[in-house]
Amino acid sequence: MKKKMLAAMMAAVLAVTGLAGCGGSTEKKEAEEKTEAKADVPKEPFGDTIKYDLTVEINDGKDISIELWEWGSDDLFQQVIDGYTAIHPNVSIKLVNNPWEDYWTKLPLALDGEKGPAIFNIHNSYHENLINYLAPLDIPLEDLQADFTGVDAHVIDGNVYYIDYGMMTGSVYYNKKMWEEAGLTDEDIPKTWDEMREVAKKLTIKDGDKLIQAGLNFNDDFHQNYLLGLNYQLGENLFQEDGKTPNVNSDAMKQVMQMLVDMYETDGVGSKDFGEKGSDSFGQGQSAMVIQWGHFYNTLNTTWSDIDFGVFEIPTFDGEPYAYNRYNGESTFGVNKNAPADQQAVAQDFVKYFLANDDAQVAFNLAMSTFPAKKSLADNEKILENPSLKVLSEHIDHYIWPGPMPSTVETSLKKAGQDIFFNGVDIETALDEAQENIIKDMKNSSFESVENLYAYAK
Amino acid sequence: MRRKISSIALNILLLMLGVITVYPFVWMLCSSFKKNSEIMALEQHLLPQEFILDNYVNMNAHFNFLRFFINSLVVTLVVTVLVVYTSTLCGFVLSKYKFKGRNLIFGFVLSTMMVPWCVTIIPKYSMIQSFGWMDSYKALIIPAMFSGFGIFMMKQHISSLPDEILEAARIDGANEFYIFQRIVFPMSKNGISSIAIFQFLWTWEDFLWPYLVINTQEKQLLAVGLKMFNGQYSTDYGALFAATAISIIPVLLIYLFFQKQFIAGIAASAVKG
Repeated sequence: MKKKMLAAMMAAVLAVTGLAGCGGSTEKKEAEEKTEAKADVPKEPFGDTIKYDLTVEINDGKDISIELWEWGSDDLFQQVIDGYTAIHPNVSIKLVNNPWEDYWTKLPLALDGEKGPAIFNIHNSYHENLINYLAPLDIPLEDLQADFTGVDAHVIDGNVYYIDYGMMTGSVYYNKKMWEEAGLTDEDIPKTWDEMREVAKKLTIKDGDKLIQAGLNFNDDFHQNYLLGLNYQLGENLFQEDGKTPNVNSDAMKQVMQMLVDMYETDGVGSKDFGEKGSDSFGQGQSAMVIQWGHFYNTLNTTWSDIDFGVFEIPTFDGEPYAYNRYNGESTFGVNKNAPADQQAVAQDFVKYFLANDDAQVAFNLAMSTFPAKKSLADNEKILENPSLKVLSEHIDHYIWPGPMPSTVETSLKKAGQDIFFNGVDIETALDEAQENIIKDMKNSSFESVENLYAYAK
Repeated sequence: MRRKISSIALNILLLMLGVITVYPFVWMLCSSFKKNSEIMALEQHLLPQEFILDNYVNMNAHFNFLRFFINSLVVTLVVTVLVVYTSTLCGFVLSKYKFKGRNLIFGFVLSTMMVPWCVTIIPKYSMIQSFGWMDSYKALIIPAMFSGFGIFMMKQHISSLPDEILEAARIDGANEFYIFQRIVFPMSKNGISSIAIFQFLWTWEDFLWPYLVINTQEKQLLAVGLKMFNGQYSTDYGALFAATAISIIPVLLIYLFFQKQFIAGIAASAVKG
């Protein structure tokens, strides 16, 4: 009897969930239908240098289907697909959504045969795994260079396989309530690291020796947000002139590491033991400032919606940095070179449509909190409404992309920092070890830094 | 007295182990009624401070939960039924028929259990691709029809059935298929329950293979859908916990109804050689 009761209860839960699920599904369907109905067909060719000509027939007007594989938001991709298929009703594009982590296992397997997706989303950290499956973009290099920044870094033997539609980098996020409680105003927003340290001290609250509120927290991400970026402010690249040998035990890196140690150990504005992750500690209302990359803006708005936060540009050492920080690009789609020729042609055309379409570019950049790589969108109203992008707008050309670095660069520097903070290893020894480790790990890597392509490279 | 004390101590120990085992599940269940900020808050409470149902109501924001759930249920039931039948059939043949190479075949079946799945997954993927079974349930069901573990378990179990019963049936004129269907199958209820529970659980929670071979969203399974909550930069924990809580109900139901036979079946297979 008990068993039957329990089973009935579980079945009821399933049924209720099913109904709730159906409701959600219907709403989603309605939303999709609305989007489809709203997809306007432009009347004129659009785009800057890369123009999308609406009159060119795709696949001679015959019906064709391709697959687009991606991770992330279905709605975002579906909107672009709907716009494209409204112009070309003979084309059908099937969207295949994937979980981020496992996408990189499935995609190379599928691309190895002829039946893989004709077009797929790329992340440059998987460059080496994917480059052999990519067809070069069928858009003149000069046109890409005219419309987008950072294209040169993607040229391989005269071809471009993908570019960046957006640039993501680090900014300072601060808790407005804590800022006000510390008696700080907008006038106090620091421009230099010395000012930043002073502000962080004012934001720090202690009960005797016990830290109650950290002024600044960089636990768990100091390597990504400080070590791999602030070196540029001091005029040092991450790689030496040959583009292959790391430069992580440079004087600049030592100076940055020393500053981090001093912030915690001399200034006392934070502690290695105060919250496992700086970003979570900020969301939990325990830390007043963190340096985070653009994606944190979305995390704050979804997970930590109770936090009233502001954003400002990363400080510099002297106000005139060689570059402000490192950035990483969010990549455009890749075209599968093993796909049938007619499918590749559609994929190439779709990429062109995506690059020429300002609405799509804005939507993708806002969704990822990346600054548009399309030059004409640098002062776009919607983009500048996003505070995490607005703070980047003035100096966005002063950020450097080192290229798709092997992960050992990050992991080795993380270990160096942990050795310094937790194991009492001195800065020089820890960074020398990181340097050696990266050299060893990159022995068989084809990576070559593109720091020399920075617009203001020395 | 000493026996009483040791019995109490043992019970306390078991109770503690039970709590340790169940606590993560209870925590997940409670967290499915919390906001993400509360799930990740510094100060943790088992019960939600602000009780919300949004995670259940909005489950479909990531994928069509009900569709994935039904897909999983259908595939899992079909695979489980097939595995139960093929395992019992093979177990019957290997335990009750004496023929040349029987041990060799059984050894071969056992050896399939010893090859790690990560070694076979790429050749299996290539085979499925060349058969043209990609994005079809054939790719999920056909390769899973035979289970080395199931055959092993059923061989052990059926060995314990008295040969005399089968002989008597033969004398009465029953053919081999009739014996299997009407005598061996019903008498293997405990073993079958064990296999059914194991197989149901494995198929239900299998992620990588369905993810690799199914592309169409509408055909995808629940285990794959649950992974969709893990984004590139963040995870929607509340919705993930809600979907996970619902997804384990079928497994609980199966265990609830077959637990007696399951325990008896496991015990029998463990001691009969």
